[in-house]
Amino acid sequence: MNNILTAVNLSKTFDSLQVVKEVSLTIKNGEFVCLVGKSGSGKTTLLSILSGLEQPTSGTVSINGTSITDSSENELALFRRGKMGFVFQSFHLIPTLCAWENVALPLFPIKMDKEKRKKRAMELLCQMEIDHRADHRPSTLSGGEKQRVAIARALVNRPEIIFADEPTGNLDSETSGAIINILKHLHEKNGMSILMVTHDQDLATSADRIVRMQDGKVVS
Amino acid sequence: MNLEYLLKELYFRKRRTLTAIFSLALGICILITINALSSAYTEAARMPLKEIGADITVQRAGNVPENLVGPVFACSAVTIKSDEIKQIRHLQGIQGFGQALLLWVFDADRFTIVLGIDPENPVGPGILRTQMTHGIFLEKGKNQALAEVSYAKNYNIQTGDNVTVGGKTYQISGIVDASKATKIAVANIYLDMVDAQKMAKESKQVQNVSPFESKDANLLFIKANPKQIDALARSIKDIIGEKASITTPASFLKHLGSLFSLSDKFSLATSLMALVITVLIVLKTMAGNLAERSNEIGVLKAVGWSNKDVVSQFLGESILQCLAGGILGLIFTLIATFLLGHMQVNIPIPWEMSPTPHFLPGGGDPVFKTLQLPVTISWRLAAFSIILSTVIGAVTGGLLSRHIARIKPSEVLKNE
Repeated sequence: MNNILTAVNLSKTFDSLQVVKEVSLTIKNGEFVCLVGKSGSGKTTLLSILSGLEQPTSGTVSINGTSITDSSENELALFRRGKMGFVFQSFHLIPTLCAWENVALPLFPIKMDKEKRKKRAMELLCQMEIDHRADHRPSTLSGGEKQRVAIARALVNRPEIIFADEPTGNLDSETSGAIINILKHLHEKNGMSILMVTHDQDLATSADRIVRMQDGKVVS
Repeated sequence: MNLEYLLKELYFRKRRTLTAIFSLALGICILITINALSSAYTEAARMPLKEIGADITVQRAGNVPENLVGPVFACSAVTIKSDEIKQIRHLQGIQGFGQALLLWVFDADRFTIVLGIDPENPVGPGILRTQMTHGIFLEKGKNQALAEVSYAKNYNIQTGDNVTVGGKTYQISGIVDASKATKIAVANIYLDMVDAQKMAKESKQVQNVSPFESKDANLLFIKANPKQIDALARSIKDIIGEKASITTPASFLKHLGSLFSLSDKFSLATSLMALVITVLIVLKTMAGNLAERSNEIGVLKAVGWSNKDVVSQFLGESILQCLAGGILGLIFTLIATFLLGHMQVNIPIPWEMSPTPHFLPGGGDPVFKTLQLPVTISWRLAAFSIILSTVIGAVTGGLLSRHIARIKPSEVLKNE
């Protein structure tokens, strides 16, 4: 099976503090990997580097064989738009847009009919079983509903890999379970590659593989 | 740029949007209103002269007559020689020229202000042709006179009557209501210029004070290219000399006082100040908006919006807000100018232009021309304000776009 993500000797230093130290990592196509570690272990920074949101101080990252380490900011934006999906702990939905518009947000810069955009967003909201809330703004949605909208947004551009940063961090245990089930479903039924950061050991058991971090290093 | 997203941002962030729109509207309103007001006062100052069909009047101050008997010259209007008139007439920038002769006539039974006019010349008192209440206007060479309506009423004069002034008898061809048309060169009796010149030439009192020939005059009315009025006034002063009394729209502006005579420099400075304050408020509002939405910008970048996409979205918001502010500002200005247009302004007429002797009842009273302030907005100014608003939006958006480009999604999206 091919690697969708290959990271070699990644390091990241902020001022004099090295938060990621010589990390090498691969994720196979269709693999669900959980990055676990205590708070401050460097897992979120590593996820930012792997997804091209942050440049490493040294080392390289390739997605499907294409290096993203030396790409410009605009090239990275286009790369993220085409191949990656993001799910954040705080959902980060746009408060002025309704649910379906939030889902379609990555498609706004693309020349596409509004009807087509809405159809695609509605398909995903339906998949997330939240299509009945399509015209509601985030302020009227529950935490679980917001995260379902955020997952739908991550899927709207048919990405090759999803990066999820503590996707259940702001949710109660029942809703967290439901969100993890959605991610597992995407992985098992659609063969989606997922890299999820969490500090919850129980949630991490849902993944194919667990990568542990401590003091900026991968320890297992 | 996504228009729906843009409109929703403006709609749901009402406070910021309205602050930006109203600040700009107020700034634009102040900017245009001050300019319109300045133009209105300048236009108002032109009115007393415009009514008489002129832009400049010329007189020469002289001595007080020795005896107030028969026809005399007012000390504010003595002889302007025909060769001086000829020189003035040929100055560059003159578009129309008229002359008149003002006489005070002290007869045994009454005092009469007489004005000799060229009936066929629309520059100067000839303009009174439009103010006839009875009879017909003067015709040259027919020994006729016009009576001013209040004078005619006082002395029970009617069209067809004969009236004797300075020992000469004239037939009244008509009654004229001069007060409706002008405050300048108002007289009791209007004669053909030639008859008035003859009267002045034959008057010993006139000749003793200011030698007068039959082609001379003592009041000149000049219509000029507005841009050359000041230069012409200087040239005329050179010809007439120190005792010249030259009235231009600028003289009326001076009489209006400093509060009203908004100079170009003052209105420019005030407008610029309003503009700078407006731009700063808009900039502050937009900057606050960006700070509030830095997370949103991070999300947009994370999900694949390029810097260009984000900047054009925010630039669009900025331009649309400012455009709306500009249009609202124009509406405010229309209301303001409509209200200001109802304001009445009293323009004082310089004493030397008042024909009534100061020693007669009412002669020393100040004379005013009262008119409604002609406040209007030119389409150029309106178009300028709309363009200016758009430019402010573009510049503000442009300045902030550098800040947008610096926002790193990884920094703003870190878990709380």
